[in-house]
Amino acid sequence: MKIKEVMVRDVVSIKPQENAYAAWQILTNMQISGLPVINAEGKLVGMFTEKEILAHMLPSYIENVGKFIYKENPKSTKKKFSEFKSMAVSELMRREVVTTTEDTTLCEVARVMLTQKARRIPVLDKSGAVVGMVARCDVLKALAGESQE
Amino acid sequence: MSGYQSLAIAIFSASILGTLFFWDFRLGFAFLGTSILLFTRTIDMEHVIQFASLDVILFLVGMMVIVALLKESGFFAWIVQLILMIRRLNGPKFVVIISVVSAVLSTMTSEVVSIIFMVAAVLEICDYFEVNAAPFIIISVLATNIGSAATVLGNPIGILIATKAGLTFEDFIIKAFPLAMVCLVAAIMVVMVWYRKAIAELSVKMKEVGANEILISLISVPPGKNLKISLAVFAVTLCFISLHHRFELLLQLKPNTILLTAPLFSSGAIMIWKWQKAREYIEKDVEWWTLLFFMLLFAQAGTLKYTGATDVLARQIASVAGNSISSLIGIVLWVSTIGSSLLDNVVLVAAFIPVIQSFQGLNMNLEPLWWALLFGGCLGGNITLIGSTANIVALGIIEKEKKMKVTFFQWFGIGATVGVVTTSIVWLLLTVLPFYR
Repeated sequence: MKIKEVMVRDVVSIKPQENAYAAWQILTNMQISGLPVINAEGKLVGMFTEKEILAHMLPSYIENVGKFIYKENPKSTKKKFSEFKSMAVSELMRREVVTTTEDTTLCEVARVMLTQKARRIPVLDKSGAVVGMVARCDVLKALAGESQE
Repeated sequence: MSGYQSLAIAIFSASILGTLFFWDFRLGFAFLGTSILLFTRTIDMEHVIQFASLDVILFLVGMMVIVALLKESGFFAWIVQLILMIRRLNGPKFVVIISVVSAVLSTMTSEVVSIIFMVAAVLEICDYFEVNAAPFIIISVLATNIGSAATVLGNPIGILIATKAGLTFEDFIIKAFPLAMVCLVAAIMVVMVWYRKAIAELSVKMKEVGANEILISLISVPPGKNLKISLAVFAVTLCFISLHHRFELLLQLKPNTILLTAPLFSSGAIMIWKWQKAREYIEKDVEWWTLLFFMLLFAQAGTLKYTGATDVLARQIASVAGNSISSLIGIVLWVSTIGSSLLDNVVLVAAFIPVIQSFQGLNMNLEPLWWALLFGGCLGGNITLIGSTANIVALGIIEKEKKMKVTFFQWFGIGATVGVVTTSIVWLLLTVLPFYR
């Protein structure tokens, strides 16, 4: 089975210049963790995810300082959340995006998801336009279906 | 000058220029340069290995594993917590505290490690009191670079100089530590004047906002078994490093044997204790990219000595200095200060070491020249924003956290003032005090 058979074709995307807070509302309403960011030329330019929003809220040095527990919320978090409300999607999106193509096999996509730690991967056609999205659950369901045949 | 000497100088110069203009390609240049030296028989493999200073590299590997354990066990976060818990702060007190803590921590754990958690503490405090963090982070970086000259642990050039000059940890404590502390006091005085407005503003905010209750309980590091054992391992390692000369005399070992093996022994014990993480410590926490670059750079600098190129340079420098040790101290100190403000100080010190060793033939006491090289290499890092890795790391965090760019000249104003004042103090004391001669 190929990815084009399991991918979701009805792709909701956001534009780089859109407001980040409004884009986060879309994620919340759709109950998903991320969306592809597509520019005016129809090219994929990034992924806007909850992880990037959280990374903006917390200090960037937390990974380097080592193990500790936050007993209170840092004062800077509120300030950063207000900044977030006026930021553009392009300021927060992840620019390096793992992608796949329609004719890729399920196991290859599963391998990429595992090795690149990706939850949802945009599927591109030959011209580089986004034609679908595939999530871990889609791959898993399809693999389960294949094994029962 | 022979063809081999010219080739050795040309390849070493290319490595220096490579690090200056093409930072990301520096290891590639080092590999290519060393290969050319071998192809052209300028040096043989046996001597490349001899000059690569594996002793220094293994020392640094051992310290990086110990630092990885300290980080994982929460030691650095614990230090941040202690700083956040200081009560009754005001602007000048805060400046003195961050300067002293930055300097002391960099003497124990290296400049690059200590600056990360010092920046974390300074940013949290400045955010809490809603003041611009940049001046206080710059103060912390300046103190970190000064503190890095005080012991063999503060900077890779410390251990490099110690092994090549046969200096002990005790020598550093007796000779380098007091000099670094004098420089620190001078630097604090300079920054108190330079940043008087920012310090006064912080004092006002601290008075307005009152007690820092949220900061005091902002983070917590549970004092678990891991943290206690990690601290014990670190303390025992520091103890052996500090007393290595005494132990070596007692056990009739070669000079610096315990200094170089203490971190190796401790990291070995750590890897047995944390055997599931041992591979991760070695693969992720040891900076192989930097260490390989150092090894090949040391080999290239060694080639200068092997071909006799440094003897020629040493004779020329000594003749310019009129064979006077005071003039040579000035030349080594100021050339290394200015050089390390633009270059990685390890590159500069690696180039200078064989030149200073060549002064041996001129019947001079080389010790003041080693101190001049050490302080030039560390203090020069304060002059420009690319002068030391600590500067680059700290400015990177400011840029990411505050979306603020410290410009070259914003840094250069205070950096050059502190750099020139502290280097002048070192120059004066090394030249005037008989203690250093």
